[in-house]
Amino acid sequence: MAPQNLGTFCLLLLYLIGTVIAGRDFYKILGVPRSASIKDIKKAYRKLALQLHPDRNPDDPRAQEKFQDLGAAYEVLSDSEKRKQYDTYGEEGLKDGHQSSHGDIFSHFFGDFGFMFGGTPRQQDRNIPRGSDIIVDLEVTLEEVYAGNFVEVVRNKPVARQAPGKRKCNCRQEMRTTQLGPGRFQMTQEVVCDECPNVKLVNEERTLEVEIEPGVRDGMEYPFIGEGEPHVDGEPGDLRFRIKVVKHSIFERRGDDLYTNVTISLVESLVGFDMDITHLDGHKVHISRDKITRPGAKLWKKGEGLPNFDNNNIKGSLIITFDVDFPKEQLSEEAREGIKQLLKQRSVQKVYNGLQGY
Amino acid sequence: MWSAGRGRAAGPALLGVLLALSLPGGRAAKTDAGLVTCGSVLKLLNTQHRVRLHSHDIKYGSGSGQQSVTGVEASDDANSYWRIRGGTEGGCPRGSPVRCGQAVRLTHVLTGKNLHTHHFRSPLSNNQEVSAFGEDGEGDDLDLWTVRCSGQHWEREAAVRFQHVGTSVFLSVTGEQYGSPIRGQHEVHGMASASAHNKWKAMEGIFIKPSPEAPGGHDEL
Repeated sequence: MAPQNLGTFCLLLLYLIGTVIAGRDFYKILGVPRSASIKDIKKAYRKLALQLHPDRNPDDPRAQEKFQDLGAAYEVLSDSEKRKQYDTYGEEGLKDGHQSSHGDIFSHFFGDFGFMFGGTPRQQDRNIPRGSDIIVDLEVTLEEVYAGNFVEVVRNKPVARQAPGKRKCNCRQEMRTTQLGPGRFQMTQEVVCDECPNVKLVNEERTLEVEIEPGVRDGMEYPFIGEGEPHVDGEPGDLRFRIKVVKHSIFERRGDDLYTNVTISLVESLVGFDMDITHLDGHKVHISRDKITRPGAKLWKKGEGLPNFDNNNIKGSLIITFDVDFPKEQLSEEAREGIKQLLKQRSVQKVYNGLQGY
Repeated sequence: MWSAGRGRAAGPALLGVLLALSLPGGRAAKTDAGLVTCGSVLKLLNTQHRVRLHSHDIKYGSGSGQQSVTGVEASDDANSYWRIRGGTEGGCPRGSPVRCGQAVRLTHVLTGKNLHTHHFRSPLSNNQEVSAFGEDGEGDDLDLWTVRCSGQHWEREAAVRFQHVGTSVFLSVTGEQYGSPIRGQHEVHGMASASAHNKWKAMEGIFIKPSPEAPGGHDEL
């Protein structure tokens, strides 16, 4: 047995050394486990791309290299075919070279003309005319708010491209003075244009990745710079996705807390019960009662709400309100006597103003 | 990853290949990627008259006096974007491909009003007036249009018709043009019979890809 173990150990060691020599560890670059889902990979890329962009790290001499590695890692691991090849043979085993430049991958997540550093808008140069912005409402379920998600979108847009010839641009009204005779002048209005290189509008398509971050709030916007409508004399506007959280049949959201209602039978309310609530990602929240549960009773389950947008590790609470299902049929004389005996509760007939807190 | 010149025949094929390469598990997704899905925002081109369905904050001077709907020649006007949504009962979750025969609402993105028609005469051709109605995407039952196409789902490359659920007319353009203040814009109206005047094709837009878990994501009987 010992030589066999040694043999497999040696093989394993050789394999590991082989993979290390064979190229970059894309999983390590993205910071994800080998079993990561495509969603995890996209999320990791998006977060790291913002951090590692060379424009953001002007003092780091290796910034460009790290950024390229990140792009290569995403390109391979986000494609199921390439990922399979990479998992088996390492980077050396990848058949084709890189299909697209890293710039392309980056713009799938952030748009065309650069990106925003943590939310500050790009410089608004008043002199350059801009095309219209487009705001698209993106419907999002509570399940997606809980776990996060990526929505793939195809953007087909008109793009201004160079064309042969010239065109008129910057047309404006100007006053011209013409001399009619000695001492007599006439002022007329004339339309005067400049000459610009000709452009035509051509439809182009690309895929964009919109991230639904866990804990995202209604109305939050995800911009893609330069993906709005074009302007023939200037820059294109932006495309913004506005989150719209849709109603859920079981949970109601209030901030980071979730509210739900449970109907229990009269018997359960008196003698206790055990039950599970299935949460948004499928995990079960267990409820166990052995005391009497009054109608309107609330149960707080800390940590079972939604993740906080700014810190996903903090979760809100799940608040469960119970209501009691009373028997529908009238009780027989026997049953009524039986209940009186069992409960031994004296008649209470308290009259009071419930609406004013008396 | 650009695919320029959608008019060329190679375009859609190349796009299909590119999309297949860029998606995980690309094979099934290649055919789905060319479908129009709920929640998508798009411009519609009338294939006969080459104008895009358009609306703006200008009301009809006659008929119902509601916000007007016209056809424009420009391809870069943000006022030509419409959002595809289901009826008020739901049944059109984000990313689910629109089926041929499904009733949808088209909400004008910039004004929040729905494509709408009713028993009023259109100003230029005396057909049925088509307007934009409602507030914030909510109007009434006359906002529903059935997507008429061949096959199972509305494909982006296909020319489809929109037939009004309430009055059975088809969304059409026959070439009449307005004067000032919307000079050059074409009249959009409802007509009783299907013809070449009521075919529309999805053009520019933001198309949500069919989501893998969406119930309508694959052909089902």
